[in-house]
Amino acid sequence: MNRSLLRAAAALALVVPLAAQAADPARLLTYSGVFEDNYTDVVVKPFQATGGNLQFVSGDSSATMLGQLRTQKTDPQLDVVIMDTTTAALACAEGLVEPLTPAMLPVLGQIDPQARAAGGTCGPGVTFDHLVIVYDAKAVTPAPTSLMAMWDPKWKGRIGMDAPPNILGLGLTAVLAHAATGDWKKADPAFEELRKLAPSVQTFQPQPDPYALILNGTLTWGLGWNARGQLYHDRSQGRLGVMLPSEGTIFQINTINLVKGAPHRDEALKFIAYALSAPAQKAFTERMFYAPTNTTAQIDPAAAERTANAADNKAKVIPIDWTEMLKLRDNWNQRWRREVITAGAR
Amino acid sequence: MRRSTGWLLCAPALAALAIAFVWPMLVLLRMSLNVTDESGVLIPAWSLATYKRLIGDSYNWGMSWDSLVLSATAATAAVLLSYPMALFLFRTHSRWRGLLAVVAVAPLLVSGTARVIGWLVILGDHGLINAVLSFFGLPAVTLINNWAGVRIGLTESVMPYATLALLAGFGRLDPRLEEAASTLGSLPIRTFWRVTLPLTAGAIGAAWLLAFVLSISAFITPHLMGGGRVFVLATEIYDAATQTLDWPAAAALSVYTLMLLFVLGGAKVAISRRSAA
Repeated sequence: MNRSLLRAAAALALVVPLAAQAADPARLLTYSGVFEDNYTDVVVKPFQATGGNLQFVSGDSSATMLGQLRTQKTDPQLDVVIMDTTTAALACAEGLVEPLTPAMLPVLGQIDPQARAAGGTCGPGVTFDHLVIVYDAKAVTPAPTSLMAMWDPKWKGRIGMDAPPNILGLGLTAVLAHAATGDWKKADPAFEELRKLAPSVQTFQPQPDPYALILNGTLTWGLGWNARGQLYHDRSQGRLGVMLPSEGTIFQINTINLVKGAPHRDEALKFIAYALSAPAQKAFTERMFYAPTNTTAQIDPAAAERTANAADNKAKVIPIDWTEMLKLRDNWNQRWRREVITAGAR
Repeated sequence: MRRSTGWLLCAPALAALAIAFVWPMLVLLRMSLNVTDESGVLIPAWSLATYKRLIGDSYNWGMSWDSLVLSATAATAAVLLSYPMALFLFRTHSRWRGLLAVVAVAPLLVSGTARVIGWLVILGDHGLINAVLSFFGLPAVTLINNWAGVRIGLTESVMPYATLALLAGFGRLDPRLEEAASTLGSLPIRTFWRVTLPLTAGAIGAAWLLAFVLSISAFITPHLMGGGRVFVLATEIYDAATQTLDWPAAAALSVYTLMLLFVLGGAKVAISRRSAA
């Protein structure tokens, strides 16, 4: 009697942790806020509805997500991470995320070549976004088409400009350089223009973000990302204007990555395949205007027109080699501080 | 036996200190010896390259100087503003004394971020102060997104600490000495300069040092009120850790800041000992 009781207890002791592990969800780390709200609604929940076992973990910036990966290197607690391509490249180089191959993920065959290239050997691009100018549509009429509209002296003290090392500031510098010289790396003319704009800048670090500061009347102009800009445009009934400048724009690509040593590797791969699939890509684009990276996704034309994939918009994208950009970043950062921000002293 | 009992009693606190302070400091020191390549990849190493790079950049010297001046300014302003308030609280026999003391340190009950946001509303280009100036037909002043805003915010944020430090240090101030000076015909202002101030000098020094240390390590105020125009050690460490992902640089700057504080703390102790001797 006692022996059989012991056997049962031993069996239970073995089974309970295994059962608990089986029920333990895979963990996806990515941006919090509006990204989390919308991604959960149209991608994570439908995945769960198919039987997928995934939990959303709120991250802050890509940099802090990389920090989490670095600190968990020897004992990973995360399975999938969606982060900016420049940061993901570091995670890939440091061996924090796994290389992905078409044999592991057949859906890679449907992914745009630029999105595939963005992730290198690791996770591919899962969303495309691009730099835009956001403005107060009530104050700025008619709707502007060029960056140079901000240089009008009447906007003195009404401009928010995210300075480097923020990617938005680096992107604006590249766009101005490309417009002046045809080469985004030749930035001298860009700095000349930025020095002229500096006295009109109220803040070089809009907090919490330019969208909120424009909508509460603190700023009239700011730099932003298209997807969030379009979302706030709709939410504010058009008060927030979004301009893709005639001078061009740059892509921002988020890649989806499998954490090396992920405790729920199979479930993680299942989710990555789902997130890259045409239905998930279509749903997220139509909800939040990130352009899809799956070339077979059939996007509603009205939504597609508002993404980077619209033909007119795509033609304005300046191809940036982010490896080159990272090499220039320190120099541009210092030039902003020494030449631009000092010219905009208040 | 008594000595070993003393160590035994101290052991839990020493263990907590080792885990909560010494170990993270060692990790920080180790991180500062790694290197970051030009693409931002963190490479494990035992190298002083990051320190050499930071020391060799004149920009960092300027930023260090700006940090020291900002912190000294905020600490001095906080002590000057807190001193009369703390002296009043120390001397008053009002039954409201306890309540007044709570009011003086009440800002500590509010989150630092919330207080800074409050300042943004008051000091903003269209904030309360400029609204009042505009009402009287006076020109607007620029009090945020610049150094002035950071000085104001930082001074306010460290004032409660300065008040507490002053109150704690006023124990040496014996009211009978001031009464004796008055009895001997000293005018109040002379009594203050010759009796009160020398007796409270130790408290002033301690309050100033505390306010300085808190100011030099403050991040929220320069970050939110500086408008991207104010570069100090704390914002630089934040940028290196979270924007450029140069963790060795962030760690090296943190070690450098810590060394600065050790030097200042050591100087304060030396001065206190000398004046006590």
